[in-house]
Amino acid sequence: MDLQELRITASLAYLDLEEEEFEKLQSAVEQLLQYFSKMMEVDIEGLPPTTHALVRENRTRPDQVLPFTDTDSLLENAPETEDRFIVIPNIL
Amino acid sequence: MSSFTRWIGLLTDPKTFDSYMRYVEQVEPRIGAFIQFDPHLGLRGSSPEGLLRGVPFAVKDILAVKGFRLTCGSRILEGFVSPYTATVVEKLQRAGAVVVGKTNMDEFGMGSSTDTSFYKQTCNPWDPERVAGGSSGGSAAAVASGMVPFALGSDTGGSVRQPAAFCGIYGLKPTYGVVSRYGLVAYASSLDVVGVCAASVEMTEEIFALIRGKDERDQTSLEEAGTSGVEGFHEKNSNKIVRKIGFVSGNLGLDSGVERAYQKTQEVLRSLGYEVQPIELSMLEYYAPVYYTIATAEASANLARYTGIRYGYRPEYAENPEELVRKARSEGFGEEVKLRILLGTFVLRSGFQDQYYQRAQRIRTAIRKDFDRVFQEVDVILSPVFPTQAFKHGSEGLDPFQQKVADRFTTAANLAGIPALSFPAGLEDGLPVGFQLMAPVFGEELLFQVARRFAEAVPPLKAPFNTSPWS
Repeated sequence: MDLQELRITASLAYLDLEEEEFEKLQSAVEQLLQYFSKMMEVDIEGLPPTTHALVRENRTRPDQVLPFTDTDSLLENAPETEDRFIVIPNIL
Repeated sequence: MSSFTRWIGLLTDPKTFDSYMRYVEQVEPRIGAFIQFDPHLGLRGSSPEGLLRGVPFAVKDILAVKGFRLTCGSRILEGFVSPYTATVVEKLQRAGAVVVGKTNMDEFGMGSSTDTSFYKQTCNPWDPERVAGGSSGGSAAAVASGMVPFALGSDTGGSVRQPAAFCGIYGLKPTYGVVSRYGLVAYASSLDVVGVCAASVEMTEEIFALIRGKDERDQTSLEEAGTSGVEGFHEKNSNKIVRKIGFVSGNLGLDSGVERAYQKTQEVLRSLGYEVQPIELSMLEYYAPVYYTIATAEASANLARYTGIRYGYRPEYAENPEELVRKARSEGFGEEVKLRILLGTFVLRSGFQDQYYQRAQRIRTAIRKDFDRVFQEVDVILSPVFPTQAFKHGSEGLDPFQQKVADRFTTAANLAGIPALSFPAGLEDGLPVGFQLMAPVFGEELLFQVARRFAEAVPPLKAPFNTSPWS
């Protein structure tokens, strides 16, 4: 994968990487993609994909409200709050 | 009789509580198994009654325990305190067992050494210059050093079995969907299972019996999981007696110590009366590439939730919300996690999906079919866990790429969804070697059956760092 592709991929993943990191990760990504290319040897004709090991169909549950009362414990994990709001930088 | 006899009541009696604390104070600084250790906090969450009252246990820091931190070994979750408790932990707390702490791990479960943790290094209780394995290295080391009789871990591609093998203990990866994942932080959802590290087969079995069962709060948990309890798991194999064991043959690329132990293990099983025959896993060389394609793809989606907005690490300054997210992720994730997110994002990108992700999913079907074929011939499979014994920390050990290639034996059970048990098979050059048994889905009992008999012939050994009077 060339550096340009890697930059696009990183941006899609919301990762800002330093130049040094890009170089290091590029060779690691290359090495693994090379390794993945081994999969091209397999004849996959007629094979359906496995999406989950044993779950074969979509499963639903009743659309019921299950109350969770300890909302404070969730807010306490927020890095910055004001009253009961989570603070983020300005949206311009 | 419970296999936990010597541990029962340990933390509920003030006198033995103190001697327990003194033991951990002496051992833990040299092992580094825990990211957080707080038995007082743990006691508050447990029932004073029950089969396991006062028995200490450790929980990998990827499972939620209310009031304890939940870091996944990552800076991005530094300081996060869990608002609720995972179903598996709740079940054990109801049985009286006490969470003593959260164990160290490779960041988000991504690694085979526990050295990718942001927080600390975990050392192998057989030789502190060596790794405890990973990613559940802290859990395995806590058991092997006698600080707890058992610990919970998670196994996405071998993360319970490999550290168990490195530390000379048992490591169970149950059938996919049999143990609830409610409260387990997701890494690769089609592969993740909660597993057990324990000092004996009997303990592994007892804990598995307690934690299994369908959970309404986990959409992937199965009806066949039954309800938990030491009795009452009516699996289809429960009355089956294992006769034929197929060992994975061919050029497996094992280190000499592991190779020697593999031969010896086959001989021991033969001497126990099993019909031990070679089998070939025709898809073996594709396990690791398929696994890493699927695991990284799913990880890139699961880890998209870490934004630094509602919880976790937040950068000191950001101009706008998007920059906040970018900075939080870039500063909060370690190198191995970034690598896997990049790979996963790439293999899911339009234009590349067919070539990688979808191809991997289709080969996964071929892998499952191959196991179906083998299980027509044999009752269980014997296989290596890892091609080497515990390696050294740092550059003297295996590099990250070599570690991934070495996952070829363990990833199979996750791809196929089948149960697997890593068991200690003696020492080579003073270090433990472990092998794994694999069975058809819901066949955990078959694994225990063989491991129990093997342990009668080759009993598990205690690590030099384990001077615990209770284990």
